[in-house]
Amino acid sequence: MPSPIQNPRLLLSHCRLHSPFPPKPHPTVSRHIHRPSRPLLRASSATQQPLATPSTTTPASSDILSVRESILSRRKTVTEVAGEYLDRLRRTEPLIRSFVHVADEEAVMRQAAEIDGRVERGEEVGELAGVLVGVKDNICTADMPSTGGSRILEGYRPAFDATAIGRLRERGAIIVGKTNLDEFGMGSSTEASGFQVTANPWDTSRVPGGSSGGSASAVSARQCMVSLGSDTGGSVRQPASFCGVVGMKPTYGRVSRFGLMAYASSLDVIGCFSSSVTDTAILLRAISGYDRFDATSSNHEVPDYASQLVSVDHFESKPLKGLRVGMICETLGDGVDIGVVSSIQAASVHLEELGCTVTEVSMPSFSLGLPAYYILATSESSSNLSRYDGVRYGNQVAADEINSLYGDSRANGFGPEVKMRILMGTYALSAGYYDAYYKRAQQVRTLVRKSFKAALEQNDILISPAAPTPAYKIGEKTNDPLAMYAGDTMTVNVNLAGLPALVVPCGVVEGGPAGLPVGLQMIGAAFDEAKLLNVGHIFEQTLQSNGFVPPLLTNC
Amino acid sequence: MGGGAVTALISRATAPVKLFFGPRQTRRAFRCSALQPPDVPRLAETARISLSPKEVEEFAPKIRQVIDWFGQLQAVDLENIEPSLRADNEVGVDPRQDQPVEFENREAMLAAVPSYEDPYIKLPKVLNKE
Repeated sequence: MPSPIQNPRLLLSHCRLHSPFPPKPHPTVSRHIHRPSRPLLRASSATQQPLATPSTTTPASSDILSVRESILSRRKTVTEVAGEYLDRLRRTEPLIRSFVHVADEEAVMRQAAEIDGRVERGEEVGELAGVLVGVKDNICTADMPSTGGSRILEGYRPAFDATAIGRLRERGAIIVGKTNLDEFGMGSSTEASGFQVTANPWDTSRVPGGSSGGSASAVSARQCMVSLGSDTGGSVRQPASFCGVVGMKPTYGRVSRFGLMAYASSLDVIGCFSSSVTDTAILLRAISGYDRFDATSSNHEVPDYASQLVSVDHFESKPLKGLRVGMICETLGDGVDIGVVSSIQAASVHLEELGCTVTEVSMPSFSLGLPAYYILATSESSSNLSRYDGVRYGNQVAADEINSLYGDSRANGFGPEVKMRILMGTYALSAGYYDAYYKRAQQVRTLVRKSFKAALEQNDILISPAAPTPAYKIGEKTNDPLAMYAGDTMTVNVNLAGLPALVVPCGVVEGGPAGLPVGLQMIGAAFDEAKLLNVGHIFEQTLQSNGFVPPLLTNC
Repeated sequence: MGGGAVTALISRATAPVKLFFGPRQTRRAFRCSALQPPDVPRLAETARISLSPKEVEEFAPKIRQVIDWFGQLQAVDLENIEPSLRADNEVGVDPRQDQPVEFENREAMLAAVPSYEDPYIKLPKVLNKE
């Protein structure tokens, strides 16, 4: 088997995360993977009792590689692994309600047995064989309902898989279910779902963030190994921060959006959640690339992100030596939770210890990004959501003439936040208002793009919080749209500029039964995901942490 | 791309009065032009959402609050700044061939139609009240 290992340090490393992903998997044990398999329920933290493993620092390790090793070495079957996950999903689901649809158990087991059969017969298996994936319900799956969290699509089954889903299935991944979200992605807490409220596994009285809250909480509670989300203004990064998982928002155009229900097309991207940066790297590579069904997808080469990750070597004290990090000073000012600020400052010190030079960068246009984002997003949504008219699919309210059919079907199917955003967007796009709103917002987008460009010429990456606060209480902001929108201030600018950003858990602040996680956002230049993953990977391995295991898992 | 043409067309139709007094004094000057506060029932009709009177009452102050907040961009000096349609990262370099392709799962697609009578999608009468 040709080994893509290029960095000799990988071979010296003690670390469990270094295994490069073989391009052509072979159904025998990879010789260079020899590490104890990680218990699925990791423990523990300073504030809680360990379950089964010692309470030493547990750097995040790759669930994908760990399971792969188990099944290829025949220590475990995919059927067993899938059984464990489904069992945990069933036990934890009543407490957090991450899923709006859980896959039929028989179907999951059939797919698992099929892979086991291949392993048994010595046949090749895909690079994601046996990887259990949760999918945000605004991403189309042909064998499961896909509602976008909206009643207007209740029971809808698409006639096709999204391209990202097809790519996962081709590689052997098994979809365990569809995760909850704010209706069509419009929200920041998953409370605006048409079906249910999802709770945060760190404190079930708090929100998981949103709009991909179900995908974040499902990975946090280990109901699945990894999950897909979508990020229009922070919908992957903010819930990743709230739930203590790794979240990746790729460059605009990196991942095909064919089969993603459109919210704001100039901003939408599909992103991913995992409990380690290695898994993020593996998952991102699997879903990236040009797709003829999405004209906005890019031809830019897709690197083998995971094989490029450099493991931390005991003998190398400054693995990030020379990396220039810019801390966006506008993101640490007024209105940002004090615990969040100190977590980010500690992360910055940690990066310095790893050899980075951290300097403050100022982006004066930063605060303009939020209103500009909401103008663009609501305007584009008012246009995109006109497709939900109850005629070709979705729920129809019978009427005796067409306009009532449209109006009643939409009134009946959409929730209040979606209705309000459509109306705001309709207003902003009213004849004669284009210059005052949509065009101005696009001009602000130009300013934001330029200021990121300048900042990324001076720095390799930029850092900021992923959200101004840790997870807040369910119901705390539901009646105040501007308070809810303000929570997106750290993330929307990145969407306006179309840049990639990675969120890694970096600290725990007070709150809830065992503290609440805080994520560090790292922003890179377009198509510079590999750099972000590398920095994130080293950061994650060298961080003194408990592995960010939520208390739910120790009690359940 | 067609976007430029659309932009030009719409801006010609509006031409708000914009007196330029310098960076700090533009706010009122721009806002004074014909921007009306949101009329929720009218917007709902345009967007084809039949709102109940209760919803109108509930949404109106919230929508108005957000639209007011959007208004802060009027105070920003954006003279001579080109609008960005999107992030524009190496997108659209290789448009696909303009050729029809058969969709292989036609049955499933038609099964999703709420009211179907082969080969038609059934609708109630279309009245043009305007």
